[in-house]
Amino acid sequence: MNMVEKILAKASGKKEVVPGEIVIADVDVIVMHDFGTHLVSNVFDKETKYTEIPNPDKVVIVIDHWFSPAAEDSATILRDIRAWAKKHGIKHLYDGGSGICHYVMFEEGFVRPGMVVVGTDSHTTCYGAFGAFGTGVGNQSHASLGLVFGKGWFRVPKTIKVQIDGELPKGTNMRDVVQHVIGVMGEDGAVYKAVEFAGSFVDSCSVLDRFTLPLMSVEMGAKTGFIQPDDKVIEFIKQRTNKPFELYYNDPDVEYESVHYFDVSKLGPQIGCPPTVGNTKSIEDVPRVTINQAVIGGCAGAKIEDFRLAAEILRGRKVHPEVRLLIIPGSRQIYMQAAREGLLDLFFEAGANIFPPSCGTCQTVNMGAQAAGEVMIATLPRNFPGRTGSPQASVYLASPMTVAASAIEGRITDPREFLGR
Amino acid sequence: MMVKARCWKFGDNIPSDLITPITIIFKGYEYIAQHVLERVRPEFPKLLKKGDIIVAGKNWACSSGRTTAPKGLKIAGVGLVIAESFSRTFFRNASEVGLPILECPGVTAKVNDGDVLEVDVTTGVIKNLTSGETIQATPPPPFQIELIKHGGLLKYLEEKGLPTNV
Repeated sequence: MNMVEKILAKASGKKEVVPGEIVIADVDVIVMHDFGTHLVSNVFDKETKYTEIPNPDKVVIVIDHWFSPAAEDSATILRDIRAWAKKHGIKHLYDGGSGICHYVMFEEGFVRPGMVVVGTDSHTTCYGAFGAFGTGVGNQSHASLGLVFGKGWFRVPKTIKVQIDGELPKGTNMRDVVQHVIGVMGEDGAVYKAVEFAGSFVDSCSVLDRFTLPLMSVEMGAKTGFIQPDDKVIEFIKQRTNKPFELYYNDPDVEYESVHYFDVSKLGPQIGCPPTVGNTKSIEDVPRVTINQAVIGGCAGAKIEDFRLAAEILRGRKVHPEVRLLIIPGSRQIYMQAAREGLLDLFFEAGANIFPPSCGTCQTVNMGAQAAGEVMIATLPRNFPGRTGSPQASVYLASPMTVAASAIEGRITDPREFLGR
Repeated sequence: MMVKARCWKFGDNIPSDLITPITIIFKGYEYIAQHVLERVRPEFPKLLKKGDIIVAGKNWACSSGRTTAPKGLKIAGVGLVIAESFSRTFFRNASEVGLPILECPGVTAKVNDGDVLEVDVTTGVIKNLTSGETIQATPPPPFQIELIKHGGLLKYLEEKGLPTNV
């Protein structure tokens, strides 16, 4: 068995599981964002006969899309979420401005190796960066199996392996790698599957850089993504929690449905072009489209590492007068760290606006909406039409360096033009 | 379980953002049903008849895994969704809300918008009554059929209790 199969076997009380089998497994943590909590609580209250949540300490609620509601209807939703959490004894509620739910999860030590994590957010696939199994499930699952019984139903996925070797050239980073992989694999290249990421490139990355790989695996359709936990992961977890955990590793003879090899040693900046995440092109093949808005934020690009990369390009430069550059740190810790390192001053002086820790413009509800015909370049995980305002607006996905370079020039720009200048 | 109705055809990679956009998902299911998919085909929610079938390309309902997409379609009256492939969240959530779905690679080449289909939802046999052609979809897994037969996960749990083995 591989890591995911072993975790699902343990959680369902079985010696062995095989791909295709459906198991009922114990869930260790349930993470719900504001949208999810609203929808799940409605199902729980109106469509089930359940009245109690027996283990509220297993539930983490993060108000991350609405950092501060802009209108009465959203204020009402948030008021009701807070009241519902209180009624059911859910203490782990992180209110607007705390950051993106997955960032809160790893920073606050809620996720540990060996766990089964389910969430209302589709990027719950990210926990495989920490030796855990994570996947998104729906409102009905949450409102019954999850919250009431502490369980989930899962079809054991087949596994494909993505082997990434090589050392990145200057001007490219993890976001370019993941964008390239999704482009090659296709946005449905891993539907229902688990994707294991391995190789010398993956090994060389920090735990949080790696985090982007399983997180973005859902953009190939994956059920989950994972990486064999190493000493870096153990150290990362121990710095955040003293609770015990169990490590699961692949058996030496595991089989994959397919193995895909990537060498990133000559990779240049990659752009996810409209209208899908998998429409990846090398920057040389993308026209220098004029942009109106540039965003560094969202779960695929709001870590301190992302802001440091953007700062390399923006230091001593100004944002183009016709571009709005929005900076949205992924959590309060990241916000504080960026402040301590002088990055927030740097961005602000360059002409950017700094927003509270949140999902920012990803699923636009309280900031950064686009009008028809507008163009945005962003580190967000997704660019589907209609996610960020008008379905007639377009979104290009890129690394923090490419977004910063484009913000300066006012059009899609290769960040390597700024390096060594 | 048989479904017989006209079909509405959609393309590849239609995201949940266009099925039930963020602008409608907090306004209750009656409102959602009145506006479902209108960003792709404005006439769809107005002309949809109860039981109608959606035939879609690959990766139907990718992007956010919101249950509002299958539930909104079901409440609007959609009787079945057939696609080349589904996002896993839609696949899962459709079964959980009791909306029948069938995965059928190659279906978009054999069905035109407006064709009348007669479909056995449990065996996956699709008869295109307009063209006379028969198409075989992937038969759904037994657990999915169980969920659909009960009308979704909540009723399944109510009637059968917590499953230990499925």
